[in-house]
Amino acid sequence: MRVAATSGFDWRSLRLDRTAIWIVLVALFAVAAMLSDSFLRPIYVFNIMRQAAPVGIAAVGVTLVMILGGVDLSVGAIISLTAVVAAVTMDGEVANIPFALAITLTVGTAIGLINGLLIAYNRVSPFILTLGTAIAVFGITQIYSGGTARGIVAPGFREFFNYRVGGWVPVLAIALWVIVLAGLWLQRATVLGRAFYLIGDNRAAARLAGLAVAPITVIAYTISGFTASLGGVALLARSGVSSTFVGRGLEFDVLAAVVLGGTTFEGGRGGIGGTIAAVFVLLIAFNLVNILGFSYQSQLIVKGGIIILASAAYGYLKGRGGYLKGRG
Amino acid sequence: MTWLDRLPGRGRQGILWLLLVMVVAAATVNPEFRTLDNAVNVLNQSAALGILAVGQTVVIIAGLLDLSVGMLIGLIVVLTNDLMNGQASATLPAILLALGLGLAVGTVNGVLDKLLRIDPLILTFGMLSVLQGVIFVYTDRSVGRASDAFLWMASGTVAGVPFSAILLAAASGLVYLLLDRTRFGRHVFAVGGDETCARRDGIDTARIRLIVFMISGLSAGIAGILVAGRLGTGYPNAGAGFELDAIVAVVLGGTSLAGGRGSVLGTVAAVFVLGIASNILNLMEVSSFVQLLVKGLIVVVAIIANQPRRLMPA
Repeated sequence: MRVAATSGFDWRSLRLDRTAIWIVLVALFAVAAMLSDSFLRPIYVFNIMRQAAPVGIAAVGVTLVMILGGVDLSVGAIISLTAVVAAVTMDGEVANIPFALAITLTVGTAIGLINGLLIAYNRVSPFILTLGTAIAVFGITQIYSGGTARGIVAPGFREFFNYRVGGWVPVLAIALWVIVLAGLWLQRATVLGRAFYLIGDNRAAARLAGLAVAPITVIAYTISGFTASLGGVALLARSGVSSTFVGRGLEFDVLAAVVLGGTTFEGGRGGIGGTIAAVFVLLIAFNLVNILGFSYQSQLIVKGGIIILASAAYGYLKGRGGYLKGRG
Repeated sequence: MTWLDRLPGRGRQGILWLLLVMVVAAATVNPEFRTLDNAVNVLNQSAALGILAVGQTVVIIAGLLDLSVGMLIGLIVVLTNDLMNGQASATLPAILLALGLGLAVGTVNGVLDKLLRIDPLILTFGMLSVLQGVIFVYTDRSVGRASDAFLWMASGTVAGVPFSAILLAAASGLVYLLLDRTRFGRHVFAVGGDETCARRDGIDTARIRLIVFMISGLSAGIAGILVAGRLGTGYPNAGAGFELDAIVAVVLGGTSLAGGRGSVLGTVAAVFVLGIASNILNLMEVSSFVQLLVKGLIVVVAIIANQPRRLMPA
């Protein structure tokens, strides 16, 4: 798929295919800036990036999984569990932070590894399997925390991540971009990234070409578990709350962003760039209705409407490619 | 070949065996499980999810997904209870409201699907958010009270058989006939199997998709009536998570998420597997947290046990 793209096979449609979500983002941002001056203040824009960190970071791993033709619905549950684990192991002591982070990332990565092993070596639907692990992980979170907010964030932990470098850019926003860039590098410049696309595009061909399909699948889900646990840490750093419900439903925010960003369920296309643009589309929409003074309840209506309309606009812009291909 | 393998349809033998093993094991281990009251209880608890899952089976066979049904149930529960407020005279309007609203939202989904041509998962996810917003704009606390007829529909019996179970049997029977014995049913499988092929064969695929979304909405309407009666009041969060439970049941029942393959009987069996599992854990007084963990593990184990045979093409 991507080989065709770089050799200039069908330039015009393919470029639009990738830029459509950015056009939607720019248009939405222009509308937002017209409706409220806040969007023109850099500090506000950086704050949006800070807000985007948990979902954006988790979406990096999910995008890679979906390029490979899988899906990971357990990320919301992993975010909840890792946020609680991080807070409990930190226990209010600065000295515990390295240990807490090590445990937290290990837990999330291990869940991703389990997902990967179960999916790669069985012929099961990843949608339902990760839904199952999501329910199980949510149960573990509840048992571990006793069903209430537990654990104390170490002093300085939140302050560090929300510190504005040069008075402008929060560390959390920088962390988001570092992980996005790392994901982009993996996706574009490594053999592994190519393998994800090939497996997603044509699993049988990938196997015939000698790719180790099952181990590569395991790696993709493990990365998704890892980025989800980073997302859990980011959420804890952003909110400071380690409630068991904190990550609930976030898998849908992640999924909406990935699909809106042009990575389809069929796999083999899309990428992290589109995903991150879509994360911002959803977040700006949410901030916009907030600024315009709508109640939280009506925000849900607007958010739903924007998800539908933005993906329709995106589909219109990119012509009849992608998902629509089969419907001509 | 066992008699199970000879039943029409494919890929659901595993779940029927699992159901059989669970019933026998539960009945042997726990005397309470064997009581008639408990059987009625399991049926009543499973009926709403069963009807919703039967509708979702049609959706998934057609290669689509409908995530909006859970919140649709929530909206129906709130509006019908508020309308009735305990008056018997409002029962019929409330039923019509539930079915009409279900059908209307299903139609909107179907029309938007045709007009906007976006991934149905994104479309219905957006609709989920819209419906959730509508519920909470309407009310953030429980409103109204169910009429006696609604309460009866959710937990009453006809000659010892729960009415809700009769409703589930009728719904699954109808959908089974629709899928297996009608031209429309064949077309649903064709659209789910390969939409381009189906269109080239002259099937009006957009129309099939519209009707499928309407069936899904209607199933949420009927399920909403049962949930409204079961709760007895318009609780705004009543429908949260129903859509995922329904999808889990459909896939556990052997219907492929890729579309084009599946069965209603498998779905109903899977609904009872989930219902009995939760019932046994309740009888054993296991905490709800541990129940969540067990439910997740059941899904994982069941889907691995129920995977397609190696002989089938990848």
